[in-house]
Amino acid sequence: MADTKPQKITAKTWDENAVPRHRIQWCPGCGDFGVLAALKMALTKLEITPHELLIVSGIGCSGQIRNYLNGNAFHGTHGGPLAYALGAKMANPRLKVISTAGDGDTFAIGVENFVHICRRDPELLHIIMDNGVYGLTKGQHSPTHGRGMNIEQWSEEAPPPFAPLRLALTAGATFVAQSFSGDPKHAAEIYVQGLQHKGFAMVNDFSPCVTYNKFNTYDWYRAHVEEIPKDHDPTDINTAWELLNEFDRKERLPLGVIYRHPRNKKTFEPVPMWPRELADVDIRPLLNEFK
Amino acid sequence: MIVNHLKLLVGGMQLRDGVVTMTDVLGRIIVRAGLHVLAMERGYASTIYGAHQYDPMVVSEKPPTSWGDRAMDVLIALDYDSNPDANEQPNRDTVLRHGRDVKDGGILIYDSSTGAINTESLERRGVRIFPIPARNIARDELKKDVVKNVIMVGALCRLLDFDPQGAYFRALIEERFLRKGQDIVDLNLRAAQRGREVVEESLRGHGWTDVGYRLEPRRLDDPFIFIAGNEALSIGAIKAGCRYYAGYPITPASAILEYMEEHLPTYGGRAMQGQNERESIRAAIGASLVGARAMVGTSGPGLSLKVEEFGTSGMTETPVVIVDTQRAGPSTGMPTKSEQGDVWLSVFGGHGEIPRIVLAPGDQEECYTMMIEAHHLADKYQCPVFFLTDLNLSEGRKTIPESFFLTQQAVVDRSTLVTEGDLRRDGAYRRYTVTESGISQRLIPGTVGAIFKATGSEHDERGFVSTDPLIRKAQVDKRLRKMETYLREDAPAPQVFGRPAGHLVLMGWGSTRPVLLEAQQRLRDRGIDAVVVHFTHLWPFNTAAVKPLLEKATARIAVEGNFSGQFADIVQAYCLVPVSRILKYNGLPLYPGEIVDGVETMLREGTAVVRITDGPVPVKVLEGD
Repeated sequence: MADTKPQKITAKTWDENAVPRHRIQWCPGCGDFGVLAALKMALTKLEITPHELLIVSGIGCSGQIRNYLNGNAFHGTHGGPLAYALGAKMANPRLKVISTAGDGDTFAIGVENFVHICRRDPELLHIIMDNGVYGLTKGQHSPTHGRGMNIEQWSEEAPPPFAPLRLALTAGATFVAQSFSGDPKHAAEIYVQGLQHKGFAMVNDFSPCVTYNKFNTYDWYRAHVEEIPKDHDPTDINTAWELLNEFDRKERLPLGVIYRHPRNKKTFEPVPMWPRELADVDIRPLLNEFK
Repeated sequence: MIVNHLKLLVGGMQLRDGVVTMTDVLGRIIVRAGLHVLAMERGYASTIYGAHQYDPMVVSEKPPTSWGDRAMDVLIALDYDSNPDANEQPNRDTVLRHGRDVKDGGILIYDSSTGAINTESLERRGVRIFPIPARNIARDELKKDVVKNVIMVGALCRLLDFDPQGAYFRALIEERFLRKGQDIVDLNLRAAQRGREVVEESLRGHGWTDVGYRLEPRRLDDPFIFIAGNEALSIGAIKAGCRYYAGYPITPASAILEYMEEHLPTYGGRAMQGQNERESIRAAIGASLVGARAMVGTSGPGLSLKVEEFGTSGMTETPVVIVDTQRAGPSTGMPTKSEQGDVWLSVFGGHGEIPRIVLAPGDQEECYTMMIEAHHLADKYQCPVFFLTDLNLSEGRKTIPESFFLTQQAVVDRSTLVTEGDLRRDGAYRRYTVTESGISQRLIPGTVGAIFKATGSEHDERGFVSTDPLIRKAQVDKRLRKMETYLREDAPAPQVFGRPAGHLVLMGWGSTRPVLLEAQQRLRDRGIDAVVVHFTHLWPFNTAAVKPLLEKATARIAVEGNFSGQFADIVQAYCLVPVSRILKYNGLPLYPGEIVDGVETMLREGTAVVRITDGPVPVKVLEGD
């Protein structure tokens, strides 16, 4: 597919090499449309070119996002996107790498990758399209299912919802944010900050499933989300925890950058991969230790 | 007097006695003296401390055909106290376990620090016994327990009349320890000298001038290195341009991870310890996706965990080299024992059908050369390439001329990658273009002028998901057609030793080649002509090359380190000829004598399957897990 290399990156850039809008297979009104719109806005604002972009997406409705916008894309196994993205970014740090996955992909089958990528801190943006259900398999509960529900008794079969932001902070993430696909403009601002972050940027995006999640609807989210105060200091971990506690107390869901604290990290060049870089590799020094 | 031809075994307690430290020092000084060493039967337990450990080693003037049988000329027992599970005599797991294998007229050296042991039965067989209170000398005289195995090195060198001036030993010790201080060097030299002195005294006491064995240095124009399969394949990977490695710690593959972590950055690459087996292979696939030659290493349990990603690699056509240092399975199995039990998993593992290539080097040299090939094939066919070694091969060490490594050609051919200049101006690049060979040009993200979508879902030529029956069939056909191309262009015939017509064919694959060849020699001495057909390229199966070899044979016997004859099943299915089997899976290496016995039993009794058994271990010892 051609990367038409437009002089200027515009909103239109992202419609090329992509499934046309009328063929998109998300349910009408799906929250993922908001994520897609916000992502295109963010990429346009930062003037990222499609050829330098790699989107690694998970399995499920969220995974389809890769085909709905221009840019290189990879789609592997359920729970895997963060690990593929990690390897890609390590091998070629010059690429802009974005991974997208649902809350099931990230916090159930892929939680092993999520926890440790927070520690590894590769420079990539991970957008969790959080809808509380496994939509593509027709509505089974996913890790964030039950958010805000008033349930008197829990069971092993039906545990309380997962807390994405708290896990990210605990695991050592250096950028923790939350957005709402019902407000793509605001979400785009968060994505921009995530893309500019020199490390792993986690954005949990509430992306309602209009077909299978009849509880956490757009209206429900609108009634429960709240932008975090302008004076919040995201660089302080204690302030970040306090903010989460405060929002839990008032039963609100914070939108915005909760924590941002880039680490001092080594920088790397892309690994050698072209024949000219790999010709005449001298292994003599390696043999010496076996003499 | 036997000159430059012996097998020795060093045994002791794991971690405490420094068994491998001793064989490493011995190996290196013998190698520097121009003699060949083959040490591939290493025995240890999956525990850090306390279990019995041993390391046999063949020393010879010409490259040894194999590691021979269990019988050894020299037994060196480093353990000095009692085994709580064998109270019949103080000390001596090593002597109890291996004493019966010392040849008549051989040598036993043991640590007598806690007293002499009963060696009557050995003495009756003419074994010369040398009790050496090494631990006591080290502790009391030299004030450093750890040099007790250096005392033993000195003692052994004196017995074998080897390195009388200690020149080889001194050079090695100086290289290793001089930067830590002259006192460390002196301590080691004194320890070796003390070992010599004790032996000297003992020889005088017995009135012996020699012990029947001697090692003589040879002049070497082309120096040897002493290297294990894991390191040889790692260097091969670096030579081949592999610049991304990921692995989760697992015996016996961990050495590859450690080696790559230490050396890959020097070559601009990156090596990462995965947080689990799946992260490792996924990260490698991600690195490969963006153009790096990438590899993972693991052993059976880890390979089982990676199965899902075989499909990702095959379906998205993203190359990855997967090293499997096989160990005894299933489940945790016996982590420190060798086996050849992962053929089915590598060849058939996973849902659906993918193109894949399975290689199995037959020795440390092929660990190097075939690793270069593995990366080339992965690049060309854009699929997973499995590289099956096993514990014996991956940790077993061998002398190889240094020039062997330096003279191998390794041109990195990446002609299946498209560059900016190759892209057609009409923008018609399609990642999964259906071609006659099945191979499509691969774009690397970041290349200006085009983008691609790769997916493990079925897809059209552009990489967009499709379940259209025509597209589905075209893409399946295209992917699997790569294997026909491989058979046509790259699959070699098996290695044939001897004339194939009208004979018994002995078949094997991977690390068993040395024993097959030695068994062949011994069978010939007994009037049985056998041809050895050895496979290093297991899959796709080269029926056209193999079938004619087997059809002409009078009998076909496969020798494998597993219960079923996993590869024999494939041979039988593809060549439509019955294949008998000699199988061993008790955790011990395969020995040539066992093959000879097996073949004779089969010829005499018409048995189709012989399962090799060893006698019980004479000492009950709990091992870790």
